[in-house]
Order: sequence, then C-alpha cells, then structure tokens
Amino acid sequence: MSDFWVLFAKELKNLLRDKKLIFGLVVVPLIIYPALGKGMGIGIEKARGETHVAIANFDSGDYGSLLIKALNSSPNVTVTLVEAGDVAAALERASNLKQNVLVVIPPGFSESIAENRSAIVYVYGIFSSLGTGMKESVSEGRINAIIQALSRGIAEIKVRKLGFSEPSALLSPIQARSLSYVRGRLVNVSPSAVSAILASQSVTLPIVVFLMVTLTAQIAAGAIASEKENKTLETLLTLPVKRTTIVASKIGGTAVMGLIAALTYTFGMRSYIGSSFGGSNVSLGDLGIRITPQGILLFGVVVFLTVAFALSLAMLLAIFSEDVQSANTVVSSVILPLAFPSFILMYTDLSSLPKAAAYALLSDPFTHPIVAYQWMLAGEYARIAWSIGYLSAAALALLYLTARAFSGEKILTAKMGWGRRRR
Amino acid sequence: MEVPAVRVEGLEKDYGKVRALKGISFQIGEGEIFGLIGPNGAGKSTTLKILATLLKPTAGKAEVFGHDVVEEAGKVRGMISYLPEEAGAYKNLTGREYLEFMAKLYAKGGRNADEMLELGVELSGLGERLDDKVSTYSKGMTRRLLLARALMVKPKLAILDEPASGLDIINAYTIRKTIKALSASEGVTFLISSHNMLEVEYLCHRVALISGGRIVEAGTPAELKERYEAENLEEVFMRAIGLEGGQK
Repeated sequence: MSDFWVLFAKELKNLLRDKKLIFGLVVVPLIIYPALGKGMGIGIEKARGETHVAIANFDSGDYGSLLIKALNSSPNVTVTLVEAGDVAAALERASNLKQNVLVVIPPGFSESIAENRSAIVYVYGIFSSLGTGMKESVSEGRINAIIQALSRGIAEIKVRKLGFSEPSALLSPIQARSLSYVRGRLVNVSPSAVSAILASQSVTLPIVVFLMVTLTAQIAAGAIASEKENKTLETLLTLPVKRTTIVASKIGGTAVMGLIAALTYTFGMRSYIGSSFGGSNVSLGDLGIRITPQGILLFGVVVFLTVAFALSLAMLLAIFSEDVQSANTVVSSVILPLAFPSFILMYTDLSSLPKAAAYALLSDPFTHPIVAYQWMLAGEYARIAWSIGYLSAAALALLYLTARAFSGEKILTAKMGWGRRRR
Repeated sequence: MEVPAVRVEGLEKDYGKVRALKGISFQIGEGEIFGLIGPNGAGKSTTLKILATLLKPTAGKAEVFGHDVVEEAGKVRGMISYLPEEAGAYKNLTGREYLEFMAKLYAKGGRNADEMLELGVELSGLGERLDDKVSTYSKGMTRRLLLARALMVKPKLAILDEPASGLDIINAYTIRKTIKALSASEGVTFLISSHNMLEVEYLCHRVALISGGRIVEAGTPAELKERYEAENLEEVFMRAIGLEGGQK
C-alpha cells in the first residue's frame, strides 16, 4: 500500500469515528431534515382536512337557504347552524364549538340578490390559537370557492332568464389559457407550474452547495488544526513521507466526507422540501429539458473543483491557526461571505444581472455549481468547460499555496488564535 | 573517515527578534547515546527540531549521517525517528491501529511492518489496552505508546525530547533499559534531551550542557564530574553556568 493510501485510510478512519462529525453529516440531513419536512407536511395535511363551518343566518329569503345547502353539500365541509341574536354572539358560539369559520348571512341578503343588487356574505376565520393559521386560511379559501361557484350559478340562471343561451360566454367573455415557451420549445404547461419546478431546483441546489462547502471546509480545517491541537503534527511531519502526500491524503479524506455530505444533504433537503411543500406534477422532461450523461459529468467536475477550492482554502487558513476553535472561526469568517453570494442566484439568474454584477458573482468560485447547473439544463456545455477552467486555476493556485505552507516551518511556528482573546 | 551520525556546526536559529540558538556545534558518533541538558528555553528543543527537519536554521549547518537536514530533508526523515516533548496520538484510533499505521509508513526497502508492529506491541507494554481507543489512555500510557512508535522502527537516529516525561518510575526505568539495549544490539544512535540529570547520567555516553542558546560544556558524564569536582551532573551544570562555585 502506498504512503498516500496508508495516510488516506487513517484520515478516513479518524474522521468516520468522530461522533460530532457523523451527527452533522448523517443524523442532521438524514433524520432531522426529513423529520422537519414530515412535521410540516403533517401540518399542511391537517390544514387540508375537514373544514368546520358555522353559519349564522339572519336572512329569511331563499338565497340564504340556497347558500347553506351549497355549503352543506360540499366535500370536506361540515356545517353547523348557530342561533344568535347578533354577530358577536354568533362568533362566540362558533368559537366555543371549535369551528374554523363563521359564515354570516346578513338580513336582506336574498332581497338584494332578487333585486339584482350585490349581496354581501361575511366570512370570519376563527383563530382559537396563534399557530401558523394554515387551517383558517385553507378553510376561508374553501368557503370562498363555494360562494363564488354559487354566485356564478345564480348569475347564470339570471342571465338565462334574460334569454341568453350561453351565459358563461356573457359572464366571462375572455378566457385565458396559459402555456409556456421554454427555450424555444412550446410546452402545454402553465408558466406558474414551470416556475414551481424551476424554483424547487434553484432553492435546493444553493442550499445543498452552501452546506456542503461550509461543512467540508470545517472538516478540512479541523483535519489540520486537530493535528496541532492533539500534538500529532510534529510527528506527522517527520515521517518518511512527502509533505505533498500528506496534504493530498488530507484533501482526499476530507473530500470523501464532502461527498457523503453532498449525498446526505441532497437527500435530506429533497425529502424536506418534498414532504413539506409537496412535489410538482411536472418533471424537467415535460419541459423538454434532457440531462445528458455528458452534462452530469461536467457538472460533477464543477462540484468537485468547488469542493477542492474550499478544502484548500480551509487548510491554508488552518495552517496559521492555533487550534480547532481558531481554525473554525477563521474558516467561517472567510468561507461564509464567499458562499453567501450564491444565494442571489436563488432569486435571479446571471443573464438578468448587469454585466459587472454577473462577472463579480462569477469571480466567486462558490457560485459556479449553481450557474453550471443552469448551463447543464440549458445544454450550454462550452460555458461549463469555461467554468471548469476557471475553477481548476483557482483550486490549483490554492493547492500550491497550501502545499508550500505545509512544507515550510510556518505550520509549526504560526500560532494565531483567531477569534480568541489572548491572555 | 567515518561519517558521524550527527554533525552540527555553528547552528543559529532566530524566532523573529529572539535568538534561540547562538552558534552551537557538536558531533555524535554512530551508536552513541548523546544527551542535551539545559533549562527551559536553553535551545534544546529547537536543536532537536532542526535535526528532525521541522525547523530551518537561520545560519550554520546540521547533518544526519552526512545528509543536510535542509537540502536533503527527505533522506534525513528516512533515517530518523522523532519523539517531541509534547506529543499525542490519534484519539479515534486504537493503540494497535496507531502502531500499525506508523509501521506501514516506515516499512520500506524490505523492512517488515509486521515485525515493527510486534516490537511496538512489546515495547509499549500496554497489553490488551492496545485494542482500546487512544482517547481512553492516561498520559503515561500515551507516552509509552509514542515511545514504542519511535523505537519500533529501529531508526538509525532516534531523537527523543524528554523521553520519560510523564512516566512513573517503573516505566521510566524500563524505557531507559530499552534505549540502552537498542543502542547496544541494533547500533541505534540516540539524541536525547532531558531535565532529569540522573536519567542522562545513567543513559548517555556523552552529554552537552546548553544554556542561553550556547553549548557551555561537553564530554562524558565522568569527565564533566571530574572537571568540575562535582558529585553529579546537576552540580556540573550549576557550576558550568556560574551559578555555583567550584573547580574547573
């Protein structure tokens, strides 16, 4: 076994047995994220459950009764009629009966409709606790939809009585049909549905990249700084092994952890977003977007180089740190500001930014996985190749600096207690 | 002419404005056990670190078996085994895994990792505890593991900074005997720094007294005691640096 593999195996063994690391790498993304998502999903499911609606009818006409009938016959709606002298008393009763919504049909409701005037019906959402309010919101939407359907039905009857055979054409003379034109291809999907699927991609990826980069950077910094803290560094540096091999094995060991982090966080985030916000019925394939193996490979290289850049930067910073705490502090204060700009791409894309801003974003290596993903979807492989060139140059320059710093004596003599007060 | 195991000439080392070594020179013959004695901050550890290729001298020259520690650091590392004064082992590995890891890195040019490991297990004296994680070891146990690691590879030159620090009397005695035995049977050369004058007197063929970055005296323990009409090396040291009266 070569020196690299001996050192690499030791690094992996050492890292994989670190309980704190495994918690952050496996338990958080694979158990806590999906559990959070599930919790939110349960909340949404509950909100979508049966709506309990109380009705206070102060109207004596037919249209009031018709509204009650319409509500009664709607699915997922349970109606309770409350007797009350006024609205305040009705609200109190409805609240005591743990209803989600109170519908108040005021006096003269039927009369107004009969005389072709607009009638008002009041819908009160009843908040028994100050939680998310999701249930009340869903209930109100449901009742409003029933009222609108009834309203339209009444309108159609009235229009028919006036002698029009097609009342819907009269009531809605213009109807919109939404389609999308995605990168030169017409698809029978509404823009909001296209937007939903693209948004789910553009939200997940920056978060996963951000978590992966910051986590692996911390692991890399820890791999160097813990050698100092645990007093193993001096022995390591006097072993009959090339210094570059030591650096390479540390990067290799940490990169494997980064890969595990990428997989677990992608799975965890997907599971969180999928179970909490529901999946889209539209797939990328429906939009005519095909992800080719070549595209995946190029995108993988971009992710790998970004991680390599983050690892080298973290190691370089850790070389000048006194211990793990100092290393984590300095790495966070350098990597986080570099990783944050990638979140801008959650809300906009490069082409809609001023040129200077787009180039400024592209100069930050951590934005590249996100733009490369967009380029991969668009099949713009030449641009990904350009990104690979830029990232390779940045990662190699940093690797060179890290290897240089590792070969010198600064690694032993530099004792900067970043973020720590000197006594 | 025989190449000395260690040759140091006019060695200087500055840490910023602080001059830790002010031009020290000494030689160590092959198979010799050489002691570097001095108070804290005298320059012992700096000297050892330069010879272990960890630090670069500001001026002067240091060679191990004829190889320059700066120019030929890689070759030097293949011949030495260094034990720092404050050292640790990988806490998430077991003692056995740690020794195995080190043995594999030293097992080159026909040397056998299994044999090294076997010797390491024996030298550590940790028995079944070797299968426990290093994080569960006491300070003394960790030191024994580290010493076993340093010696199991039978280096041409073992550089040991305070080898018995943190060890109880029995363990310290066993280690000293091991060092003597390895020097006699395998011809391993030892460069040892220590505060413990008794230890040095018992172990070393020759010693150098270092103070304020300079070597103030060198010779066999017997020669030095005779020169300073002292009963032990402690008295020799105090008289050599002028803190106590006595003959020279």
